[in-house]
Amino acid sequence: MRGRFYRLIRDLHLYLGLFISPFVLVFAISVFFLVHTWLPKIAPETSNTRVVSALPLPGDLQTLSGRALIDALKPALEKADVHGEVGFLQHLVKEEKLIIPVTVPGRQTIVTISTASREATIVTRETGLADAMATLHRSPGEHAPAIRMNWFYMQEWRWLADTTAYLILFISVSGIYLWYVLRAERRVGFVLLFAGALSFFGLAYALSH
Amino acid sequence: MRSATEPTRKSPRAARFQMGLERWNRKLHYYAGLFLLFFMWLFAVTGLVLNHPTWSFAESWTKRTDTNSERAITALGPELRGDLAQAREIMRQLGIEGEILWTTTRSNADLFEFQVRRPGHYYFIKADLARNRVTLRHSEVNLWGVIKVLHVFSGASLDDPRQSRDWALTTVWAYSMDAVAAGLIFMVLSSLYMWWELPQKRLLGAVILGLGSLICGLFCIGLRWLF
Repeated sequence: MRGRFYRLIRDLHLYLGLFISPFVLVFAISVFFLVHTWLPKIAPETSNTRVVSALPLPGDLQTLSGRALIDALKPALEKADVHGEVGFLQHLVKEEKLIIPVTVPGRQTIVTISTASREATIVTRETGLADAMATLHRSPGEHAPAIRMNWFYMQEWRWLADTTAYLILFISVSGIYLWYVLRAERRVGFVLLFAGALSFFGLAYALSH
Repeated sequence: MRSATEPTRKSPRAARFQMGLERWNRKLHYYAGLFLLFFMWLFAVTGLVLNHPTWSFAESWTKRTDTNSERAITALGPELRGDLAQAREIMRQLGIEGEILWTTTRSNADLFEFQVRRPGHYYFIKADLARNRVTLRHSEVNLWGVIKVLHVFSGASLDDPRQSRDWALTTVWAYSMDAVAAGLIFMVLSSLYMWWELPQKRLLGAVILGLGSLICGLFCIGLRWLF
């Protein structure tokens, strides 16, 4: 019974670990980009601008805000062939302009719509793999939950990011079990566990007190 | 000369090296995991909490305690040139330590506004340098607030190039985050090696790893091709 349980935990540890390993690599590598505000570029950033007219804007544009406004602008973005997660949009009422940032991991698009002429100027910037990883690391994030996850793929990413976090917790607990079973490794393991705890709590204490 | 179909035989030295490599790879996988355990738990749990800001049990900002005060400071000398030097002197006089956050552009030389943050503590400082008075708001948040900030506390921001690390402990924490990331990368690579050394688990493992890589690749690279 114990042997079967051990084998089950060992296999789950292995296979679930293999499944999340690419996600862990994305989160771990992007830490360097985020902590050091450094985005290495394999290829130079490219940018292009185009204009689209006759956009289908909602009639009640002035009264809408937040998620309702984003949802109402979806047909216009669809017609402009702009896909992605819509960020904080600015509605400049006096200038009769809407500035809509749209993100696909590795690409940033700014759509500026003139509400009077229903014409949009679209500037697209290809920002590369490092930026894509940093964007995914920060998505969905803690800010503006009411408007976030307005693109199907980012909703799926949130699910995957959560799965990665839950599986890291499972893999770490199952890893403790697999280590503890190995009697020969217990002593060194306890020393390292204690050293890690001391480093972690020591740093956290120094930072917060 | 050995034919192409003849099975390769490792020399005793090579076999010994491989055994040693396997043994130490396994050991270091355990050791790194155990040392980084609490860091991994912190980043995994706070990752979940940050992804779900509507989870009320982890709410910290609305449950904060605010303390407002007005304090006198001694005049800042002319030797203190630049915002950073002046902010540091004001913090020294107020007995505050933490990472400086620039929030507004200074338009009046006598009015100086900035924030200082450290996990659990937010200081909002408005200094009137003409009157040598400082208005200070100190917000203290609960344990959830502390650990959420630890997840993102690097002192720098990709979105705001004005922010840079100016507190020694932020630098220590930033390098700790690097070390945790490097440790995780090592653990992933060492686990791939251990899996590859188990021939009976290669096929199923390759399918699962391939599936994970495909899904992850879709988000990192594929979405740009599709849309």
